Amino acid sequence: MKRLRKWTAWILVLAMLVPLVLTTAGCSGETQADDNRIVIWHDKEDAVAEALEAELARLVPDVEIVLEKKTSLTDSLKLSGNDPSAAPDLFIFAHDKIGVFAEMGILAPVTDFVSEETLSSYLDMTIDAVTYKDTIYQLPIYFETLLFMYNRRYMQDDEVPATTEELYAYMQENTGRGRYGFVEQHSTAYYSAAWIHGFGGSLISADGQPLLDSEEVRRALQYHLKFVELMPGETEYSTVNTLFIEGQADATIGGPWMVPSAREAGIDLGIAPMPTVDETGLKLSPYSGVQGVYVLNHAAQSKDETVRQVLEALSNPSVGVALAQASGCAPANTACYDDPAIAEDEMVQAMRETAEIATPMPNIPEMDVMWTVTGNLLSDVNLSGEDVDTAAAQAQEEALDLIAAMQ
Amino acid sequence: MGLKRQKKWKQKKKGKGKTTFYAYLYSAPSLILIGLVVVFPILYTGYISLTNMNVYHWFDFEIIGLGNYERALLLVDSGFLSALLATILWTVVNMVIQLVVAFVLASLLNIQSLKLRKFYKTLLMFPWAMPGYVSILLWKTGMFNSQFGLLNQWMEKLGLQAVRWLSSDVSAFICCTVVNLWLALPFMIMIMDGALQSIDKSYYESAILDGAGWFKRTIYITLPTIRPIIAPAVIITVFTTFKQFDVVYLLTQQAGAKTGSHFHTLLTYAYENAFITNNYGYSSAISIIIFALLLLFSWKFRLKEEP
Amino acid sequence: MRNRKKMRKRIGLVFLNLFFIALCFVTLIPILYALSVSFNAQNSLLSSDFSFLPEQFTLDNYREVLFGEDILVWFGNTAILAVSTVAISLAVAIPAAYCFSRRRFPGRMAVIRALVLLNSFPAVLSMFAVYRLLRPLGLINSRAGLILVYTGTMAVFSLWNMKGYFDTIPVELEEAARIDGASTFRLVRLIVLPLAKPSIIVTALMVLIYVWNEYIYATTFMTGEDKYTLAAGLYSLQATEMSGSWPVFAAASITVSLPVLSIFFLCQRHMVSGLTAGGVKG
Repeated sequence: MKRLRKWTAWILVLAMLVPLVLTTAGCSGETQADDNRIVIWHDKEDAVAEALEAELARLVPDVEIVLEKKTSLTDSLKLSGNDPSAAPDLFIFAHDKIGVFAEMGILAPVTDFVSEETLSSYLDMTIDAVTYKDTIYQLPIYFETLLFMYNRRYMQDDEVPATTEELYAYMQENTGRGRYGFVEQHSTAYYSAAWIHGFGGSLISADGQPLLDSEEVRRALQYHLKFVELMPGETEYSTVNTLFIEGQADATIGGPWMVPSAREAGIDLGIAPMPTVDETGLKLSPYSGVQGVYVLNHAAQSKDETVRQVLEALSNPSVGVALAQASGCAPANTACYDDPAIAEDEMVQAMRETAEIATPMPNIPEMDVMWTVTGNLLSDVNLSGEDVDTAAAQAQEEALDLIAAMQ
Repeated sequence: MGLKRQKKWKQKKKGKGKTTFYAYLYSAPSLILIGLVVVFPILYTGYISLTNMNVYHWFDFEIIGLGNYERALLLVDSGFLSALLATILWTVVNMVIQLVVAFVLASLLNIQSLKLRKFYKTLLMFPWAMPGYVSILLWKTGMFNSQFGLLNQWMEKLGLQAVRWLSSDVSAFICCTVVNLWLALPFMIMIMDGALQSIDKSYYESAILDGAGWFKRTIYITLPTIRPIIAPAVIITVFTTFKQFDVVYLLTQQAGAKTGSHFHTLLTYAYENAFITNNYGYSSAISIIIFALLLLFSWKFRLKEEP
Repeated sequence: MRNRKKMRKRIGLVFLNLFFIALCFVTLIPILYALSVSFNAQNSLLSSDFSFLPEQFTLDNYREVLFGEDILVWFGNTAILAVSTVAISLAVAIPAAYCFSRRRFPGRMAVIRALVLLNSFPAVLSMFAVYRLLRPLGLINSRAGLILVYTGTMAVFSLWNMKGYFDTIPVELEEAARIDGASTFRLVRLIVLPLAKPSIIVTALMVLIYVWNEYIYATTFMTGEDKYTLAAGLYSLQATEMSGSWPVFAAASITVSLPVLSIFFLCQRHMVSGLTAGGVKG
């Protein structure tokens, strides 16, 4: 009996050892920092990733590039911070997180690696977007912005509204019986910002002051309401996307990511400039997002030379051209537009034109909370039918509280 | 006290010490794991809640005392309280329906002459086999979507008005409850089923001989017997329901897909009002407060469990 | 008289069967929906004209899932994680549950109570701390790290659920065997475990399903598509709305659920307790 008990004890000791063994196995499995190896996190579609990989393999064949797709990229970065054993060396993401990561202190300025001269050939809008507190924290690669798209089968080229009132008239005429003249993600901050900018307003000032109860924002929301009434009571992507792709909606404001599926569905897609708000004479001005590469501090220090090579390669116009061809991204580098293939691409050109009027997303950390608060305000007004002024005042207060809570 | 007796007493004590030692030795792996993955995070969150760790002090954070708690308590406003009430209501409604439905279904599944039992059981378990967020997404877009959802397609066929299921507070609450039940019932049915099968059939036989009807048998035999068996699962489900986040958030509050409903549970409320600030100190303080509330409730309702 | 009773019983049974058929149908509506979408050649989950039978039947979406995505790799990852987690969970929880059920020692009730309360701390909130725990151990982006987190998360449930069941097994059985000279180990193996089979299976299933469906830790701690689990991979498929194809997603959801479902079906046979079969008096 005693022997058996001993035996049991041994089994238990073994059971306890299992986690330990696994632990050490985990340790040894870790790859040592290799100066010639650059890990890049991204959350892009396969087409973009493949094009990037191919270009980098061609431009810097000596560097081992590992492109890793990371679904919750920003959340993971907030955890791993600057830790060489867990964080990547570079990552590709839109510019709106610059403030957060720069304040965290995990980013290195890209000007350490790329010359002023190289950057001078980039579109001004993209450089503005990636500058935070006078420092450039991201090397732009391409940018995206919302476009006015229409289905030529239902909306003729000469019917495309030049002003918002024309759009409204068109919607009134063509909405009903399960069909929509125009749809958009009306209660989502990213989309509604276009209307707010069209009234000369904005969600937040450059110094981080929320502006939700400003005159402009309230007027924009009030005006926007009548459009919302003629749109479905859902604001999420898949509804809007499906309505347009199934030909149940004549026009929409959507991102370039809608284009491949629209073409696949056989839609004769037209892309037009944004309509002008009659009251203000300003065009609807959507947010633009600049996608580019960020450098983490630890890599900037330990792999200085390799990072320089990779960034230089990424600033090569051929990267922008390849991406534009692979998935219709609009290059940030003006040199790319000299390429005939790009010059002829209708969508890329339309995006470049819209970029002139588009507003780069704010990159200050305070913006992080504004997405949610503005979303709440929009759904309160558009979906729950609350009074614009009261809801705006309440949202403003909420935004102030949240921003105060960030400190 | 005789020497002999004293010796015996000592021996006994030694034996007891040995039992304790072995009991802890055998439980050690489990307890160590729990310590690492369950207890340590709570302590660590407690520690962070005393610091000023946020975006602006990511690496150089320092202990600032109870400041975060002071601010967190300011969050305890009407919104927080209504979220708390909604959470309690949510937990009670969900648990009651779950227990009753699971018990009835498990009882029916245990009727001896039901030959297809296994088949039904497997089908009823299907919702459990799917990853939770996938199911929620299916419900959201497939069932509740006001444009394309199956529910509205049926409403249309019946000649009724399309309904925006998730947009008002009450109907959002009901929809969330339906989805939550759909997700949680398979597990509960399985637990109940297992418990019912463990009842010694001879109890019933003698009860039937005594002339006890189904109702009496349920009250006096079934329920008392299965109670201790299902207690752990039920209590754990109560907590899971209380801290439910995915169902409510993904159905109604997801960023970019809000539906206009104001139904919040404590966690979704805390998420929108604290966690998105990236202020870890402050969010941790809120987490600890929610945790304290949970402790308070469980203490209030005394989790009785047979020793 | 007897015939009539028999008749009534038969009618009752028919109704019972009808009831269950209806119930299963209602329960499965969302899944039938996904199934239909996944077999449909047209590219939309949100088609405005839905029928349970797809108009144009196709298996393309499943082909796409099985060969277009890395689903087989994800499946392998998940299987490794699931098997190790279930094995370790049971290995650590069974002895602990037995001790907590059978032995009387100081701190026993206190520990049990504390465990349940501690377990109520929302897991979402412990992410940060868990990260801080795994990093010094070098377990970020490693399977061992996830296994550690998963076993730890499920440890309270496993311990507590099995302890509850062990409590219902009469001690007399063990005492009789002990008198015959059996050791504790033999006793547990030969008497307790067979009797507690339903509970062990439920616990194992619960752990398995948790691992199978968990995606938050898996997406946050693991990097690179080749390391994803099924749930994490599916999540990323769905999260990239830009390229998201609904029928493929629906097909993937069904594919992911099938292994769990078949395991469940296989386990059912073993879920009948030894207690009902034997003539054990409590």
